[in-house]
Amino acid sequence: MRTGIYEIGLKRKERVVQNPAEVLIRIADLHKSYYDGESELRVLQGINLEVYKSELLAIVGASGVGKSTLLHIIGTLDRPTAGSVLYDEDDVFNLPDKDLSGFRNKEIGFVFQFHHLLPEFTALENVAMGALITTPNHKTVYKEAEALLDYVGLAERCLHYPNQLSGGERQRVAIARALINQPRVVLADEPTGNLDRRSSETVLELLWNLNAKSGQAFVIVTHNQELAQQVDRVVQLVDGKVVDSGT
Amino acid sequence: MRFEWFVASRYLRSRRKQSFISIISFISIGGVALGVATVILVIAVLDGVEHGLRDRFLANEAHVVFRLHDHSFFGDYEKRIGQIASIDEVVATSPVILAQIAVFPEHSDTIQDVIYIKGIDPVQEDAVTGFSKLVSGSTDFQNSEYIETARLLRNETITGGIVLGERLAARLGIIKGDVLRLVVKLAKHPANENMLLPDLSNFVVIGFYESEMAVYDNNFGFIHIQDAQKLYHKKNRVNTIFIRLNDAELAPQIAREIEDTVRFTVLEGMPDARTWMEIQAPLFSALRLEKIATVIIEALIILVASFNIASTLIMTVMEKTKDVGTLRTLGTSRGNIMKIFMIQGSVIGILGTMLGTTLGLALCWLLSSNAVRPSYWYAFVLAAPILLQVLIATRHAMPRKGGWKFAAAVLWIIGIGFALYCVVRPISFAELGLSHIYQMNQMPIKINWFFVVFINVLSFLICWLATFYPAWQAANLKPVEALQHE
Repeated sequence: MRTGIYEIGLKRKERVVQNPAEVLIRIADLHKSYYDGESELRVLQGINLEVYKSELLAIVGASGVGKSTLLHIIGTLDRPTAGSVLYDEDDVFNLPDKDLSGFRNKEIGFVFQFHHLLPEFTALENVAMGALITTPNHKTVYKEAEALLDYVGLAERCLHYPNQLSGGERQRVAIARALINQPRVVLADEPTGNLDRRSSETVLELLWNLNAKSGQAFVIVTHNQELAQQVDRVVQLVDGKVVDSGT
Repeated sequence: MRFEWFVASRYLRSRRKQSFISIISFISIGGVALGVATVILVIAVLDGVEHGLRDRFLANEAHVVFRLHDHSFFGDYEKRIGQIASIDEVVATSPVILAQIAVFPEHSDTIQDVIYIKGIDPVQEDAVTGFSKLVSGSTDFQNSEYIETARLLRNETITGGIVLGERLAARLGIIKGDVLRLVVKLAKHPANENMLLPDLSNFVVIGFYESEMAVYDNNFGFIHIQDAQKLYHKKNRVNTIFIRLNDAELAPQIAREIEDTVRFTVLEGMPDARTWMEIQAPLFSALRLEKIATVIIEALIILVASFNIASTLIMTVMEKTKDVGTLRTLGTSRGNIMKIFMIQGSVIGILGTMLGTTLGLALCWLLSSNAVRPSYWYAFVLAAPILLQVLIATRHAMPRKGGWKFAAAVLWIIGIGFALYCVVRPISFAELGLSHIYQMNQMPIKINWFFVVFINVLSFLICWLATFYPAWQAANLKPVEALQHE
């Protein structure tokens, strides 16, 4: 397994999981409604959920039940209508935009169904992007990005642009990008939803290995039952509510 | 490189899918550049005209004109001239009688015109305005051969000679040697007090005044000061003193000094010294107004170009909405996003302004340099390969390697520069038959460096302001909606 350089990165930050049962994210009575004129569309209706450090959590449910909305709120990309999202017992939505963005940059990694790579930048630059926002020293960042690309098996593709990569490769670049700042939680929205079976397997294997090695928590929104069976815990959403939360 | 610069510069150079936006960026840069270049050139021409007229004016005009408030005659003028001459900076003075007078030529029995008559001492006037240099014919107001001939041939009393403005003479249909009758006033008939007769004096036209300044050439006649004193029955009196200074720019303060130095009694009146700036205020304020109007129009051109920038950025924001969403998920703040798009717009503004300034200054130089140029054909010889290259470049993407691009850019600049050098030449007013209107042989160019800096700052400011809305629009995209944008 090609893990060497990424492990060096981990040592640098010394992010070692002390107590796997410790709560990383506490979601309390979370509501989210969308308004169209006078009509209200209630997507999330009182979600209560904990995400533990270094756990692999899958959120499953039918289309339109609010899985992605919940993930976006956990990822601070969207704000709840009511309720709170506490990271280490702190409500992140009290932070001003600049601090909230900084928090997102450091603590949260995203992987989407569609890779969302920036087309003007090479794979290496895409991976490095998250770190470049705050780190002026490009050399170190690029070294780390190179190590991550090496880890996801794309060392040879560093200088390729997204349109020169296959779907599976793009998704692996997106995973590497999510990890550049060694976030405490990686939020993945249907990470294999747009991939063929073989690419899906590669991506999932990558995710499980990462979770095992780095101790980051992974919250994965998925339709994929096979995927859901491989995680630590599965949360089922029905009509905007958690109906089942178990291993 | 800071993060925002890193992203913005990549968006600006984007050549792949977004080539349309790159072309619009290029057009925006061109728009700003043209606006800036035009304004620099037009203002340089206007400044050139103003300075040309000013220099010409100052060479042949008094710098300060001294008289009494009501323009009445005053005596002891030699003593007063002495007082004026004692002031530092005053280099010459000329006593003058300046008045309006009705004229009719000998071949006409009706008044043809009302002109300004200037009674001068030719020697003293020469020192102030270089009078004799501008006269074709004679300046001997008493003994010119024209006067002698007229006196021999006619049995009329000839008071003296008159130099007429060239265009005035043409209008009146007068040639040298003709007699011009001046009507100073109406006098009572010796036999019948109720009747009025014109008080006529005959003057022989001895020369034409050709200053190429319409106001003099159209309206003025010059006679000897003693003749003027006789005409007006004002022996040893004048109503104006023309003064020349060492430095024309000091006119306002010297004028005040003259007013303080030359004393008049209350009955005589209040002294009034007017500077050349005050006298020519209508001309120079018209030129200034023209300049202001030009600046406003040019600022509008730049404003239009800035709309280009704004629309380019708005399109970029629309095109990059998804990217903005992605950048937000990576932890880019609203401020970062705003900076990225403002940098893009500002770079377009700066590049356009710099390009425009270079082009404007180069055109100014080309239009004022009389260096012998190669034939126009050389420009075509160079333009053809450039056009060919454009054709090839549009058909097949140019080599993307930095070195090639740099070499191609240098070749382009040299080629375009040389083609401009061949084609753009000074504009000859003489060849266009305009020299009598502009009173110059060549279109004058005077670069106003203060203005160049001003227009640079203005242009950049306008472009920078144009970036605000699109950048704000980008910064306020909601991350989730941006990500889902199709």
